[in-house]
Amino acid sequence: MLRTRFLTTVAAASLLAASVLPAQAEVSFMYAEWTSALVEPGIKAFEEATGETVNAIKLPGQGYDQRIALDLAAGTAADVNLMDSFMVSELAAAGYLEPLDDLAKTWDQYQYYMPGLLEVSSYQGKLFAFPTDTDVRMLWYHKGNFEKAGIALPWQPKSWADILDAAQKLKDAGVQYPFQIPAGIKQGEATTMQGVYMALLGADVPEGDRNRLLNRETNQWIGDSPALRRTFDLYHQIFVEKQLQPADLNYATDIGVAVRQALRDGNMGIMASGSWEDACIWDCNNPPSREERDALVAWTPWPGSGEPGTKATTNISGGWAMGISSKAADKELAFKLLTTIFDQANFKAWTLTTHRMAVRTDVSESPEYTADPFLAEATKLAADTTGRDTIPGYQTVSALIQQATSDILDGASVDEVITTYHDALVDEFGAENVITYE
Amino acid sequence: MTNQSNPWLTSNIWVLGLALLPAALLIGALLYFTAWAIAFSFTDLALVGRKSVEWSWVGLQNFERLFTRRGFLESLWTTVVFVFFSAIVGQSVLGFMLAAVLRGTRSQLRTIIEVSIMLGWLLPDIVAAFLWSATTSQTGLINQLIVVPLGFKPINFINEYALPIVTIANVWKGTAWSYLLFSAALDSVSREVVEAAKVDGATPLQRVLLVQLPIIRPHIATNMLFITIWTFTYFPLIYAMTGGGPGTQTQTLALFLYNQSFSRGNLGFGSAISVAMLIIVGVLSLFYLRLLREPK
Repeated sequence: MLRTRFLTTVAAASLLAASVLPAQAEVSFMYAEWTSALVEPGIKAFEEATGETVNAIKLPGQGYDQRIALDLAAGTAADVNLMDSFMVSELAAAGYLEPLDDLAKTWDQYQYYMPGLLEVSSYQGKLFAFPTDTDVRMLWYHKGNFEKAGIALPWQPKSWADILDAAQKLKDAGVQYPFQIPAGIKQGEATTMQGVYMALLGADVPEGDRNRLLNRETNQWIGDSPALRRTFDLYHQIFVEKQLQPADLNYATDIGVAVRQALRDGNMGIMASGSWEDACIWDCNNPPSREERDALVAWTPWPGSGEPGTKATTNISGGWAMGISSKAADKELAFKLLTTIFDQANFKAWTLTTHRMAVRTDVSESPEYTADPFLAEATKLAADTTGRDTIPGYQTVSALIQQATSDILDGASVDEVITTYHDALVDEFGAENVITYE
Repeated sequence: MTNQSNPWLTSNIWVLGLALLPAALLIGALLYFTAWAIAFSFTDLALVGRKSVEWSWVGLQNFERLFTRRGFLESLWTTVVFVFFSAIVGQSVLGFMLAAVLRGTRSQLRTIIEVSIMLGWLLPDIVAAFLWSATTSQTGLINQLIVVPLGFKPINFINEYALPIVTIANVWKGTAWSYLLFSAALDSVSREVVEAAKVDGATPLQRVLLVQLPIIRPHIATNMLFITIWTFTYFPLIYAMTGGGPGTQTQTLALFLYNQSFSRGNLGFGSAISVAMLIIVGVLSLFYLRLLREPK
């Protein structure tokens, strides 16, 4: 009597427990919401072709970077994961990702990937993820507000002074957010890439990597340099001295939504961002017609600072990638899911619809792609681009850079910020791995 | 059947055991994770990169860094200000005043006020965060309804006064809890005592402060303990409203911990922050528990 009652309780408890455990024999996949249009048709095709179920975990873009690192480190990550390509080297160095070279050789579409772009998601000569796209960065601007402020179109700034001048005119014309440049911790990697690095690259001459965060010859981080000081000073001018931008957008509850909404509503002049905005200003997965987009905004390359010997325009490319967790139970099945998502028809359709920049020649050389005016222009920018300093430690440096801009917004001086940044680098990497440029 | 087993009792032992099992598991898990956090705090373990594989024991280095690196003391101060104004001054004092004032009012009015302060409590943190961000931004409701019609330039409240705004939002969200608790406590004060004070000529204010307040002191201390700890480690509302910004103006310890551990991947240093928070909360708890003891 008693025993049966106990057993029933145990059985019920086990049933309860079983119902919350994932079913066996499936592939799990984690991705950010903005890639739905690529991922979801791929998953569907995979399920139909194999009869397996995919446990798809869809997350919002904000905080995704933290989540993926945490899941992989804790060993609770999905079998296949989307990640920002700057994390690949760190995640691979930590042993969280499966090397893909051998599997890739078995796939007939592998040959189309551009070698330079595979490098972005490789570490120590091994491939760890497949890039989904690449990007370029530029200044988007609201045509209506430029007309209102009396700035001639098309806008072609030649130096930072031209940008500040336009922002001042926009401010005088009553535009609420004259120049939105990502800053602060909450913006995460956007601060480093769309803001600081785009300015930094044009802040000093390229020789000796004086215009970067890292000397790539010696693998030493640059703790203090004229380029860093000029870049932080630019932030200081925008947010503090000239008050050309209220800081609140960088701390909005959902930054992406708030920034794009402000631009669409005509409350913004210039937005420092990237090629994905051609769709994402409206909807990353489902953008409106070309005419509607061109009526609202246009873009121009980021000019260099105007200092002698600096670049005329700057650009840095990133992109996202998908890799397999080293803990995935069935690596071949996981790889099958990857190749189904990246299968030519699906991948090409997504690249074209959402105006991503292609990473494969079978897409980039297709007539539809070359006929697209936006992609053609953006690809020209890509001719003179560079990548992030993806050696382990980059993520920490990037976070320190975000912190530095945060402090500027909070009223700290350029000197203070540089001192803090330099000391934090020494603290983190040792004095022998940090250099200073006069 | 002898008296060797009472089926009711044995079955109840099972029931007891089953009832205690979740608690035991929970306490076990808590201790387990706390032990790990303490262990991590003596390492330079990182979330990603080389130190996630080749971590090493670094002794007290992380705890030294709490005082030598920028961030910790600053965040501690921000947290103290936030806790003091939102938990102690805001939620407790306001909750008590509302409870004391509303006790004597007609039930209908009381219901209306109760419902309105409950709303803040019932709203999810993130929804509340959106509401407050939207209301206090440069184009927000406060500017449109008050500032601009009065002929002033719109003020970017959430940016200029980030910490006060976040504090007010938290008071708005949390006061209902203290109010309910103090209401119930005041209801339990016997009427005779209050009547006696009235006969002795005590004013309403004196009756509240000198008669009722001392009687419900344990409730107050318990509530203070609870909301102080709760607010001290509170995260969602601030994270969603400002992410700790502008700059680090609203970076409380919980946000500092999050940024260090998950944005920068310094798990070792992050663990040291959590251990420091544990110690601070422990000391606070002891202080309140002393308050709870009846003075002889």
